[in-house]
Amino acid sequence: MEIVSVSTVKIDDVIRILDKGGLVIYPTETMYGIGADATNSAAIKKLNRYKKRPAGKPYSIATSGKTMAEGYVFINKVAANIYKSLLPGPVTVVSHGKHNVAPGVESEAGTLGIRIPDHKLVIDIIKKFGRPITSTSANASYKKRPYKISDVLDNISESQKKLIDLIIDSGELPHKDPSTVVDTTCDDLTVLRQGEILFNNKNEILSRNEEETKNFAKELWQKYEIHFGRRAFVFALTGEMGSGKTVFTKGLAKAVGVTDLITSPTFNLQISYKLQTGHQSLVHIDTWRMSSPSEIYDLDFGENISECSIIVIEWADKIVDEIKKYTEEAVVIWVQLTFGKRENERLIRWMVAK
Amino acid sequence: MRKTIKSPSILSIDTSCDETSAAITQGLTVLSNVVWSQSKIHAKFGGVVPSVARRQHERKISWVVERAVNTAKIQYKNLDAVSVTVGPGLAIALGVGINFAKNLAIRYQIPIIAVNHLDAHLMGVFAQANKNNNQSGLTSNNAANLLMPDNRLKHPAFGIVVSGGNTLLVQIEAIGKYEVVAQTIDDALGESLDKSARLLGFGYPGGAVLEKFAKKGNPNKYHLPLPLLGREDEGIYSYSGIKTAFNRLVTSLTERKILTRQQINDLASTYQKVAFDHFFRISKKTIIKNLSNETSYLLAGGGVAANVDFRKRVRTMCKKLKVVPVFSYNKKLYGDNAAMVGISAYFKFLKKEFSNPENIDRLPNLKIDQAM
Repeated sequence: MEIVSVSTVKIDDVIRILDKGGLVIYPTETMYGIGADATNSAAIKKLNRYKKRPAGKPYSIATSGKTMAEGYVFINKVAANIYKSLLPGPVTVVSHGKHNVAPGVESEAGTLGIRIPDHKLVIDIIKKFGRPITSTSANASYKKRPYKISDVLDNISESQKKLIDLIIDSGELPHKDPSTVVDTTCDDLTVLRQGEILFNNKNEILSRNEEETKNFAKELWQKYEIHFGRRAFVFALTGEMGSGKTVFTKGLAKAVGVTDLITSPTFNLQISYKLQTGHQSLVHIDTWRMSSPSEIYDLDFGENISECSIIVIEWADKIVDEIKKYTEEAVVIWVQLTFGKRENERLIRWMVAK
Repeated sequence: MRKTIKSPSILSIDTSCDETSAAITQGLTVLSNVVWSQSKIHAKFGGVVPSVARRQHERKISWVVERAVNTAKIQYKNLDAVSVTVGPGLAIALGVGINFAKNLAIRYQIPIIAVNHLDAHLMGVFAQANKNNNQSGLTSNNAANLLMPDNRLKHPAFGIVVSGGNTLLVQIEAIGKYEVVAQTIDDALGESLDKSARLLGFGYPGGAVLEKFAKKGNPNKYHLPLPLLGREDEGIYSYSGIKTAFNRLVTSLTERKILTRQQINDLASTYQKVAFDHFFRISKKTIIKNLSNETSYLLAGGGVAANVDFRKRVRTMCKKLKVVPVFSYNKKLYGDNAAMVGISAYFKFLKKEFSNPENIDRLPNLKIDQAM
């Protein structure tokens, strides 16, 4: 592993490493990404080992522009509009792929996300390399967002470190959300992940499976993580039976570092998991069996708030007034899950209570 | 002076979740087992969902303990120990029972025994009816055959705990020594039955009502996906998927018109069958994988074991596996109750596994294989 400064890095060195199937950590306008030759199977396998990702999760790719992108995806009218108005920039555009990338890069449905980073060095590298590189955050799955190199290195194992060939260090980047991901494969544009750029006035994304719901929980946590330790968190979940409230909680738990198996709290009403960071807990509450909203106080709700714990409440709509009392002391995030058109799809809306 | 051959008399308390319960056991014999069920109280008021109930437990516990002691015709001063569930369960509810037990231990200067609720569900099968007072004509089960005279197990065995809060399959090497070989990754089986019952409009907890309707229905009328097909060797149960599918099914049927009585029967029957299919499919494969020549018993505990069809299917599975199923002698011992805690405590008493009343504390996330 070699670390070079962004001011001294030689593009030819980077290309030599990418050509050999190596992994390169590079800065972007959002956060640090990790690049591998998107057309090289061995490079993608190496990246999978590094990221420790669940199987079947695809990678977006970074291209130098629309022309290169057209070699890998079919750009329809909806997509073309976004390329024209927003790229380069923090938007990943998902289109039908042309199967010209290594296995595991496109999704199982054959779609592929294209990103054109608003970062001159990265564009220059890709242009000279002549092929796309992966555009995925440089952290391992569910670990801290990488805004500086130590965010990456402090949260991975020695064996993961050995997989990195080169790091292009650009110091600490401004803390921006990851790119907004939009799916353009249907006539209606669908937001799969929401970053700084908003496509509709509401905060709403489409989750296509349980893994994406878990991933959304992680993204949501990382958006507000900065308040952790100073204020409590209340994730107020609503949605009918089977809409994925416990699935969301599993993703959140993973993101905050809880390794216990998260099971339904319906019977116990509340299950607490100690966080590794200190005396706080992840408190998983289910109001489904409660007959009166005041029962929440029987569960030491106030104490958990003052300890700055992370509280997840399923069927939170049953105790709206109780939750409202804590909007000062806690970051209260309402998350609504509804069934989508297809079997595994869920529409997820969220709102931070003010 | 007390005769040394007399089995210890233990007062046990369980307030792990909804039920407030106290029991007196003498060795393996149940002298009294009082369960104050919150769901029953609430049922009186029109099927309202049971409540958390720290206050409910606090209000009821003295009465429940008093009643257990009086029914057993024993005096506090003749108790040899007090035992209490310390977990898993709802922290605030557990605390009520622990405090009460602690005070008794201090007041009467007797040892206190901390019991794991999950262990108690399994040990409940060893409970024996009080023969002096056996008016109901209950006969004790075959569990005693598994115990050696010194109260060790003759063979390694399997155990299942199926309740509203737990669904797990363990390998039992010795009493108190368990290895989890399968467990749920989301909803518990009992919870899943209760939730499907709620979707059919039965109120909560509706698992027992669902059973009644299921008997009259056609279990093959509707299709529900069997969870984790092809992943039977992973040692996991999952009930969130069928719950979701069932919600969709019921919603699609009710969109058109109100369900008929027969439809409700068929839906109840279908759900229960698929939920059990999944449980036994995973359990059977997991048991086969871990079966040795010596293992020959399966202990079954937890509220779902009160379901007649469930027990029938346990027997069918055991017959195929040439394993002897063991159930508690009385239905009351399946759901949450304190007599099972007393049996678990008895085995600990023999090993002198006592707790310090000053340090005894609730362990809401206690696992069955976790040391206390």
